[in-house]
Parts: sequence; structure tokens; C-alpha cells
Amino acid sequence: MLKIKNLKASVEKKQILKGLNLEIKAGEVHAIMGPNGSGKSTLANVLSGKKGYDIEGEILFDGFKLDQLPVEERAQKGIFLAFQYPVEIPGVNTNVFLRTALNSIRKSKGEKELDTLSYLKLVKEKSTELGIEEKFLSRQLNVGFSGGEKKKNEILQMKLLQPKLSILDETDSGLDIDALKIVAEGVNSYKNKTNAFLIITHYQRLLEYIKPDYIHVLSKGKIVKTGGADLGIQLEKTGYKNF
Amino acid sequence: MNLNLSINNIPNLSEIERKHRQQSLDNFLVSGFPNKKLEDWKFTDFNQIISTQFSELSNKEGEDNEIEKKISLVKQFQHNYIILVNGKINKINLDFEEKDKILIKNYQNEYKEKFEIKNSLNVLNEALFTNGYYLEVAENYKVKKPLIIYSYIASNSKNNIFNTRNFVKLNKNSNLELIEFTNINVEDSFVKNENEVTYLEQNSVLKKYVLQSKQNKAYIYKNLKNFLQKDANCQNFILNISSIFSKIEIESFLSGKNSNFEIYSASNLKQDQHQELRSFIHHEALNCRSYQKVKKVLNNESKGIYQGKILVSDSAQKTDAYQLSKAIILDPQAEFDAKPELEIYADDVKCSHGSSSGNIDENSIHYLMTRGISEKEAKKIIISGFLNEVFEPITNGEIKNFLEMNLNDQN
Repeated sequence: MLKIKNLKASVEKKQILKGLNLEIKAGEVHAIMGPNGSGKSTLANVLSGKKGYDIEGEILFDGFKLDQLPVEERAQKGIFLAFQYPVEIPGVNTNVFLRTALNSIRKSKGEKELDTLSYLKLVKEKSTELGIEEKFLSRQLNVGFSGGEKKKNEILQMKLLQPKLSILDETDSGLDIDALKIVAEGVNSYKNKTNAFLIITHYQRLLEYIKPDYIHVLSKGKIVKTGGADLGIQLEKTGYKNF
Repeated sequence: MNLNLSINNIPNLSEIERKHRQQSLDNFLVSGFPNKKLEDWKFTDFNQIISTQFSELSNKEGEDNEIEKKISLVKQFQHNYIILVNGKINKINLDFEEKDKILIKNYQNEYKEKFEIKNSLNVLNEALFTNGYYLEVAENYKVKKPLIIYSYIASNSKNNIFNTRNFVKLNKNSNLELIEFTNINVEDSFVKNENEVTYLEQNSVLKKYVLQSKQNKAYIYKNLKNFLQKDANCQNFILNISSIFSKIEIESFLSGKNSNFEIYSASNLKQDQHQELRSFIHHEALNCRSYQKVKKVLNNESKGIYQGKILVSDSAQKTDAYQLSKAIILDPQAEFDAKPELEIYADDVKCSHGSSSGNIDENSIHYLMTRGISEKEAKKIIISGFLNEVFEPITNGEIKNFLEMNLNDQN
């Protein structure tokens, strides 16, 4: 599904990713762990298409050259980034935003746009699973949301937009244990053989609830070690000092 | 510019009135329209703008026999209404209200002393005003449905200058929701010089919404004065005035204790639109509150101005006054000017102001695009949100939806 070959990314002439290789297949869950400043969030930003990065190397997603696609087309082709810091957008009703996003993606696939009633039915079903109250959806997008509410809202968007590859950038940060469980359940219930996950995290904590198939250690812009789920437990004990 | 202004175009004047108006007109002709040398007009050189846009101006009004066909009423919610043509009452419908609780008639010099003369446009209005309405709500009466004032302009209005006067009085403990909905469907350029006084008696509540239906070539000057007695509450929403030129001056006197005055304004300026909002709030009594939030989006070569002055007298202890202006500037040729002024003579007050202007936040655009939304649509959503945020305090859901739709239609 995703093939990254020798990816280098710089911001203002400072190289952050220094030749990263990664392959993710449908049905797999990959985790990327690493110390602060290792380039974890840069990888997420680059995959989402954020402006401001100079990029070398190749990123293939379902055979498309990803770095040549505008941001919205990446989303339409099935890439979803759950933000570490979801952006607050004043005055924009959450429901209106969700419906616009959903319909933009449906339209790009040649599907019919959802009318208000079908949308409301769908969003109710998905938000109930995440324990999100209805009135929450009529609030301004992310404005005044708690950390947990913001992250739940990201997962709700994932479940609505049904991406092939979901990138979760530090989704566990700022979550208490109950919210963490809900978010993890949201991910687990969405997981299937046709989609894949890239979980970016600093701590092992989230990986206790979402079992990864592979854990990669990112250090100084490169993947320096790859292992199974037990690598996370090991890192929890030893820290990143060896990398 | 050829000024073809005469009091002879005004019917039924008494000898005293005729004399007074002629004197005012002579005074105006000496001073001319306000120009940028005056502090209040430093960002808006009205004289220059009018002289370049009009080769002549006349106060002679024509008739429009087709006007009835152009009138279309709001269907989204039940309401009372008045229809004005060139500022003059054409129709009144108060079907939802008790009889004798609301008085509406043509304005005839009531409370003349309240129309203070401050600039030469006020002088001109004093000389030439003809049409306008008088609206009064009886004591203890809560008007059940909103009242929409539909304002239309007759089709043969090219190079006309309209001078109108309105007076609104809310008696003790009364409530009114007033929507001033201007539909300018003529292509002509004309000038409207509108003066309005609103009197809010003790514990009365006025919620007022001012909006226009579509882009037009009108040059509008509007002078609003509000007098608030004890516990009176006045909320003003000024939304998308889509005339090519507008300057709205709001002066409010919080003369009774615990009175509250609010202004919320949102506009999306295009092409070479010029829009100024100027407020002057006089805090004169104990424990009063004023709140102003002004938002503008500036496209192309448009110019937006907000000047807000707050004057707190020494008797106005415990004043709480706030003003905020925010602008999104989308083109390098667009201009936004903000000038807050605070003048405070009391020592126990809370007064603050803020102003910001800049581009659309890139992170917000990116966030929306990662959800499959195109850049163009993302910008549109963010801009609508930025403007819609001023609707937040509106408690009437029907009115809120109507205003949001109207604003978004124009974006």
C-alpha cells in the first residue's frame, strides 16, 4: 500500500529525514517510536502533504507518486492523518465540516453526496461508538475542546472518511486512560484486512491497546531498528539512549 | 459636481420650517460634504469620493409604479413587517401583534432635538429630510414576532440623494426584535443620507439586525443614535452591507445605570468596496457594559475601517467596556484601518481593546485539505466561520439561520 524509498526531507535547509525506508501492506499495523526530534512528526507531515518541506526520494501510495499529489487528493485516495494538535477553526460548525469532508471524498470517488438525513444517521452511529455526545457536534470545530475531545474527534473523522492508511500522530498524548481506551477501541474496530495503520508515538502505552505488527525505531532521521510488538516493551525499559 | 438641491422639492412646509430648512441648506452649501481634513473622516474622504463618482446630485424623487412587483418577503420565518420605498412607508403589517401596542407612522419632526447636528451631512439631512418612519412599542409589551423593515429604492434613482429620518422608541419593559433588510435592486448610483434615533426606556430590550440582500452601487451614510435608560439592553448586528460605499456611525449614550450596549459586525468586502464603521460609546452611569466585535474580510482593492471610541465619564464607575476588531486581508491591494480610542475619567473601570489583521491561517487550510477538501473550499469555509462567529450571541435560531444563509450566499 505504502512504499517509502530513501526519503529525505528538509525544512529551511535543515535536513530532518535522512533516507527513510518503509513499506506498509494492507492489514498491517506499524508503529514508529523514537526520541524527541528524531523526525516522527515530520514523517507524518510529509505524508499528509504539508507545505514547507523540500523532499527527495520516493513515496508510492497504491502505485501513485504521493509527493506529486496535492493535499486533498491524498486524502481522497485514502490517506488520513490524525493530528497531534488538531487545529481550532472558529465559527465552523463541526457537523458542517464533517459533512463537507465526507462529501468531498465521496464526490472524488464518483459516489453520491450524502443528504442531511443520511449524514446525521451515519454520524450518530459513529459518534455513539466513541461516546461522543450529539451536542458536541454542533460546537465550533475543535474550539475549546479538551485534549481528549480533540483526539476523539480525529478518530471520528477517521471512521467517517474510511481511509486506507491512517496515520496517528501522537494520538495518545494528552489522553487520560479512559479516553485512551476509547480511542484504541475506535481504531481496533475499524481495523481490517484492507486498511493499514501507521502509529507514531513516543511511549509504549498506546501499543498496549493497539497491537502493532511491526515497531520501527526512528533516530536522527532514519529507521535504525525494526522488530515486533516486544520491541516496544524493551524500549520502555531501556529508553532511546542506545539509538 | 452639479448640486441640484432645493427645499422646493419638499411638499407641505410651514413658513417657519421652510426658513429653517433653507438656512440649513445654505449652511451645507457653504461647508460642502465632509472631507479627510476632519478627524472623524480621516479614512473616508466623502467629498472626494462623491465628487468623483457623481456628476450631479438632486433631491428630486421620481415615482416607481412597478415597485410592488419587486417586493419579495422573507419566507423562512413568521414576522411582522413594514415596507419602505425610498424610506417612505408603503405598507404596514402587524398581524401577529395585539392592537394598539405598536405605533408605526411616517416620521414628522418628533423628537427633533434628539437629531443632533455634528457634521455637514447632518446639516444636509436637517435641510432636506423627507421620508422616514416613527416606531413606538407600548410599555410592558413584548413584541411576539420579529419586525422586518424592508427597504426598497425606486427604479429611477440615478444621481438622487435621499435624506431620511427614523425614530424608534421602546417604552418601559418592552421588547423588540427589529430586522432592517435593505433590498437595492436598482443598478443606479445614488446617495442615501440616513439619520436615526433610538430611545430605550427603562428595562427595554432591542435586538437589531441590519443587512442587505445583494451587491449594489449605493453610497450610504448612516447616523444612528441610541439613548439607553436604566437596565436597558441593546444588541446590534451589522452584517454584510454590500453597497459600494457605506459609512455607519453609531453613537450611544448609556445614561441609565446597568444598561448594556453591544455591536457585532461582519462583512466580506469585494472589488473596490469602501466600508467604515465608527462607534462612539458614552458611558455616563454606574455599572454599564458595552461590547463591540467587528470582523472584516478584505478582497481585491477594498477598504475597511473601524474607528471605535469609548468615553467613560467620572460618574460611570464599574464600567465594563470592550472592543475587538479582526481582519483577514486576502489581497495586497486591500486595506484595513483600525483606530481604537479610550477616554476614561472614572477610576474603577474595566476597559480594553484589541485589533488584529492578517492572512488566513495556513495550518487551518492544511487541516481541512487533509480531509479531502479543496484549497478553494477550505478557504471559503474558514472565511465563513470567521464571519459567522459574530452570530454566536443570537438566541433566536430562525433569525440566526436566516442571517447565516444570507451572509454565506454572498461569500
